[in-house]
Amino acid sequence: MSALIASTVHRGKSGRRTHLTIAVAGNPNAGKSTLTNAIAGSRLSVGNWPGVTVEKKSATFDFQGRKITLVDLPGTYSLSPYTQEEVVARDYLVHEKPDVIINVVDATNLERNLYFTLQLLELNIPLVMALNMHDEAAQKGFRIDIDKMALMLGSAVIPTVATKGEGIGRLMETAVAFADASETQRPAVVSYGEDIEKAVAAVAEQLKDHADVVSGHLPLRWMALKMIEGDARAIEHYQTEAYAALTEKAAHHLRSAHGEDLEALLADVRYGLAAGLTRETLRKPEKRKRELTERIDAVVLNRYAGIPIFFVAMWLMFKLTFDIAGPFTDWLDGVVAGPLPRWAAALLVAISAPDWIVSLVTEGIIAGVGSVLVFLPPIFAMMFFITLLEASGYLARAAFVMDRLMSAIGLHGKSFIPLLLGFGCNVPAIYATRTLENPRDKALTALLIPLMSCGARLPVYVVFTAAFFSAYAVTVLWSLYLLGIVLAVLVGFLFKKTLFRGEAPVFIMELPPYRIPTAKNLMIHTWEKGKHYLMKAGTWILAISVFVWFGLNLPWGVEAKKESYLGKTGQIIAPVFAPLGFGTWEAASSLLTGVVAKEIVVATMGEVYVPEAEEKQEASPSFGEDVRDIALSFGCAFVDAAKNVFSTFGVATMSPHEDEETAGLKSVLAKTFTPLSAYAFMAFVLLYLPCFIVLVAMRHEFGSWKWAGVTIVYQTVLAWMVAFVIYQGGRLVGL
Amino acid sequence: MTLADLKTGQSGKILKISVSGALKRRLMDMGVVPGTDVRVEKVAPLGDPIEVRIKSYALSLRRGEARHIEVEGTHSS
Repeated sequence: MSALIASTVHRGKSGRRTHLTIAVAGNPNAGKSTLTNAIAGSRLSVGNWPGVTVEKKSATFDFQGRKITLVDLPGTYSLSPYTQEEVVARDYLVHEKPDVIINVVDATNLERNLYFTLQLLELNIPLVMALNMHDEAAQKGFRIDIDKMALMLGSAVIPTVATKGEGIGRLMETAVAFADASETQRPAVVSYGEDIEKAVAAVAEQLKDHADVVSGHLPLRWMALKMIEGDARAIEHYQTEAYAALTEKAAHHLRSAHGEDLEALLADVRYGLAAGLTRETLRKPEKRKRELTERIDAVVLNRYAGIPIFFVAMWLMFKLTFDIAGPFTDWLDGVVAGPLPRWAAALLVAISAPDWIVSLVTEGIIAGVGSVLVFLPPIFAMMFFITLLEASGYLARAAFVMDRLMSAIGLHGKSFIPLLLGFGCNVPAIYATRTLENPRDKALTALLIPLMSCGARLPVYVVFTAAFFSAYAVTVLWSLYLLGIVLAVLVGFLFKKTLFRGEAPVFIMELPPYRIPTAKNLMIHTWEKGKHYLMKAGTWILAISVFVWFGLNLPWGVEAKKESYLGKTGQIIAPVFAPLGFGTWEAASSLLTGVVAKEIVVATMGEVYVPEAEEKQEASPSFGEDVRDIALSFGCAFVDAAKNVFSTFGVATMSPHEDEETAGLKSVLAKTFTPLSAYAFMAFVLLYLPCFIVLVAMRHEFGSWKWAGVTIVYQTVLAWMVAFVIYQGGRLVGL
Repeated sequence: MTLADLKTGQSGKILKISVSGALKRRLMDMGVVPGTDVRVEKVAPLGDPIEVRIKSYALSLRRGEARHIEVEGTHSS
């Protein structure tokens, strides 16, 4: 096997550079993100790779007096041209040319990890291997000959245990030393066998005068291999079509000897080499012990127990996410609705600001900030539990258990969790689609999430069921949730046949060993998502809130809501709702404001139907009392969240409770709605476009307005059609 | 015979992948290459997908995907 190493290469002159770039690459589940966190910790910043929905994590920090930029590449099994993650990783490596690659390898799963390492070596970038989970491998009785491995790869191999921070210091020192010597410290050129090497040499000989190769931008051996593999993406991107004829000659020879599929031939050869390397460097105990993971899976994936366990796990996750977040959301809501605008108003009045400024600040800006903040607790909680599920290994099992059901409507097993979270709140649910790798699965899941009836729609149902269906309120409530689910199935099926026509993405997925996630990892992921949401989505949400405020309050000074822009727009669009049974400007205006948040439909109805009930002056508490209340209620939120965790019964977000303020509204509604039109109205509220926060979250998560646009259109059409069928159908049968 | 025909607990050796393009590359990237031993460990509670052990790790795939993997049965245990 020592013949594997041909040579390390060329070019002189090494100087200490002041800024080094380190790329971290490796298989999923190899502990790459834990290792990156161990190196960079809270200095990591999260964004998206340009043009794709793949998350990009990077950090710039000082190390031994130098500036280091660490770029965490997406976890991939290969550098094939077929998935977004792989293309992102290889484009980065080829175009940005990091000074050194840290290749994170799972020591308990050497062969498949080395297959990826071999592909990294082709890029001719200095490579340092982090042989991670070294402790776990030792525990299994694995003995790995590290020196031999380093020699064969022409790289350094550093044993690490990322979860405990072991080996991280040495890893970084070695990586920096390799980057310093990057001119000489090239990795081994692993021989792919006589036939392939001959072809590579022939293609490389011709490619030598390609401009990008001459300038050193394109790794020669890598490009030659891509041409032989017939990698259309690389060939098009680097404009090497002109060399196709020559490649064809070399490839033809290979094909006649080894069969038609050269891409498969290369994969096969790489695996052969990975197996060889593993044989040479790894000693395993004779008898394989039955591992803990297998013992857990025997129960968790059991034919009979698997599904009940799955549902218990999901129920717990849902409950904990929203029960923990709930009290904090209420607390934020309280602060933003009460003391904050009061203080601001007092301040603005003191400096004699005009009324409209006071209103803009208190009802527009502060309320806008409020609508950004209230989603922070559920996003934090969701991210915490999703990371927990993912890092522990259960998420893959959940997908395994649910895939059959979800694939029937063209979804992936992993789609279940975001959809479930949607019943609590659609916003964190949209963010939860990040666990889906394939862009098609991700988009389709996100499109169906708004059909899951979120907690904010419940107040609308509660008022209407109390007014019209008090005798069978629970049945009516359930029927609405069910309506959403049934329509999600139908719409999913329809989208599968239209917007997402074509081959369903593959399911092929590793079931990683169960592992205990580290607290640090959980904290970092949770914090990052929240921070990112605030910075990226927050500005949009705030801007739209202020815009909506203008709509509600202009022209300035109108007393009657009917004369405001909102009321006027309501009058204009009201006829559209006439065939649905609620063609009044009041209903239309309420629906318009529901775009801010669906529970606002009720608040607006309260204002437009019973304006006299609105003014309820309370004595303003003093500043000191306010501050004490805020602190006190924050303490209460903590206690409530803790209580919720321990209380076994009742899902807080779904318990229908009636506001005393809406009591007056009920009697007015009874006059303008019939039971039939009330039901049509509730169905419409369930289905019409989601609140704009969801749309902003979609924009944020997908990097474009495309899917948010599709959602707006399809849901509006769907809501109208369903309400139409309910109302007109009901009238036909004489309801 | 294909991988989808193996029952839980049965092992086989991979002969070839009878599909091309992205699916084939993906399978090969995950270690499904000719000559490799594979063993069906579990079937999901609803009958699909299946879990196999290959190159000493656990891989799950749908039956529809497993049907593209030709195997020769070795022994069962």
